Amino acid sequence: MTARRAARAQDIALPLVVIALVVAGTVLKGSVFFSTANLWNVLVQASVAGTIAVGMTFVIATGGIDLAVGSVMAAAAIIGGHYFATAGSAAFMLATVTAAVAFGAINGIAVAWLRIVPFVATLAMLAASRGIAHQISHQTPVALYGLEALTRIGSQRVLGIPIPAIVFLIVVALGWVVLNRTRYGRYVIAVGGNREAARIAGIRVRPIVFSVYVVVGLCTGIASVLQTGQLASASPVVGLGLELDAIAAVVIGGTSLAGGRCTIVGTFFGVITFALVFNLLTLENVESQVQQILRGVIILGAVVAQRRGH
Amino acid sequence: MIHFKRAVVNGLVLALAVVHVGCRKETPKEPPAPEAAKPAEPATAGRPAGAKIKIAFSAPSADHGWTGAISVNAKKQAAKYDDVEFSLIQAATAADQVNQLNTIMMQKPDVLVILPQDETVTPAALAAMKAGIAVINVDREFSDPGAQRAVIKGDNYGVGFQAGLYFASELKCKGNVVEIQGIAGISVTNQRSKGFADAIAPCKGGIKIVAQQPADFAPDKGLSVMQNILQAQPKIDAVYTHDDDMAQGVVQAIKNANRDKEMWLTGVGGSRAAMDQIKQGGLYRATFLYNPTMAASAVALARLLAKGQGLSDLTEPVIPSLIVMQAQGVFKDNVDGFMAIGF
Repeated sequence: MTARRAARAQDIALPLVVIALVVAGTVLKGSVFFSTANLWNVLVQASVAGTIAVGMTFVIATGGIDLAVGSVMAAAAIIGGHYFATAGSAAFMLATVTAAVAFGAINGIAVAWLRIVPFVATLAMLAASRGIAHQISHQTPVALYGLEALTRIGSQRVLGIPIPAIVFLIVVALGWVVLNRTRYGRYVIAVGGNREAARIAGIRVRPIVFSVYVVVGLCTGIASVLQTGQLASASPVVGLGLELDAIAAVVIGGTSLAGGRCTIVGTFFGVITFALVFNLLTLENVESQVQQILRGVIILGAVVAQRRGH
Repeated sequence: MIHFKRAVVNGLVLALAVVHVGCRKETPKEPPAPEAAKPAEPATAGRPAGAKIKIAFSAPSADHGWTGAISVNAKKQAAKYDDVEFSLIQAATAADQVNQLNTIMMQKPDVLVILPQDETVTPAALAAMKAGIAVINVDREFSDPGAQRAVIKGDNYGVGFQAGLYFASELKCKGNVVEIQGIAGISVTNQRSKGFADAIAPCKGGIKIVAQQPADFAPDKGLSVMQNILQAQPKIDAVYTHDDDMAQGVVQAIKNANRDKEMWLTGVGGSRAAMDQIKQGGLYRATFLYNPTMAASAVALARLLAKGQGLSDLTEPVIPSLIVMQAQGVFKDNVDGFMAIGF
């Protein structure tokens, strides 16, 4: 009973932090902070790391990890931009997403069938895909101004909402449905909770493990499109450290690194928490080291709260 | 043989030769290089005729546009010479670089060109010099002057100062300015900030830096930092960014917010993308050269050093020991002259 109440306390802890940040922002900056314009701005800022974090939640739910997402995001955009940009926006986007999925599939094969520890397999991919991005691009950004549909994704609004924010919210919703309302989602969690039990229950474990890396690859590809849309160029140096942002958001959201326990809603609030901290401190023009300290405090605080909850 | 080489070289004592390719008045304090205290100059004028000059280039691995262009420039320059045998090694960390330098030294190159990760690479360079391999330092001077025969570097203070002068004159000493810095806490960032602050100081607060945030030289960070600043600042006249690559993100944040008529911005470096936009006119007004061509020039210097020659238009028969690149401003009216070196 107490354990259950503690678990619930942890479920609402992060939304409370978000509310506290919103209140603090409103007190400090008034309507500059508390406005629809800035609300959408925060969601746009969260969209790239957040879209990836949704996929990362699937991976971490199986007890895995993907360190390569930041590099893969850059490599996929470079592949799309270098080889397919002349064929138009649709070709670029399709190529970018396909490339990211392919990188994810390689990770999945390495982890599921070659039995390489996820940390190591994706660490290798982190290095290799960044190298590929530099190699193909000759270390120069690829301009994508010409791709009108793509740049519109980065700059336009639908019903007053910026497109990256809409895409992010859709990805969150889909992620939630798949993880909580489908048989596939239950299998993912089962494999992360107890692989042996899952196998005995008749779940084919390896295809499930493989699939989560494809899912994070797909999310990374979508994030790459959102990023290049906003930047109007593909750069081999974007996404440095992005994997850590995504993992941090997932972890403070309450998903267990050990696997078997995950929450997309938590991940969403985790991403929003970091985006709000970044937003608020930049609005206040606070030096960046304060932001780093605060991020550290939030991560540690969230993990301590999780321990108490379970 | 070695004695003979030393003898040849001992004759060549060089006074400090600072070549400023330009006309900037404010020279940042360069300590007089203690040339006289140096050990025998390990040039290799005594190589057997017909043998190729072995030049090894050690650079940080390409973690952003500029470091990438350093390697590209060095390779291109080396390819122009048929008497040069060139090798390029990239290191991700200072420790890697030290290890690589120790390996390269065993292959006895004639000249080692090093863009060090940081000053911890100094002892490795010093060891090379002591072993008779001339070292040319690119951009990040070693803490021990004996660790390098020559330095060729950009002028971080200068780019900030030149940018500051431009802002002061364009804004007529009045306006709200945003500064998007590189990586917080490194000397490159500090000097680019200080130069800028010093140059706008005579405006006595007329130019206000309303926001100042680092974006790690990365376009994606530049984008998100600027998105936030645009929320906070209702009136911005101009943006000083520390890097052309990063500025790409700042430009897009401003354009996506439809505020590109309200302000203009400048970069640093001299990238091709920046020059294209300067030529077009509009938001991107200027960039201040901190050009990776210095890597190409370093390779050219290395070759001259190995051949025992000086710079052809200078009087001295050996190469200078310190070359500081001019922080040249590139604007719409002169951009055509610099397009060829855009990276």
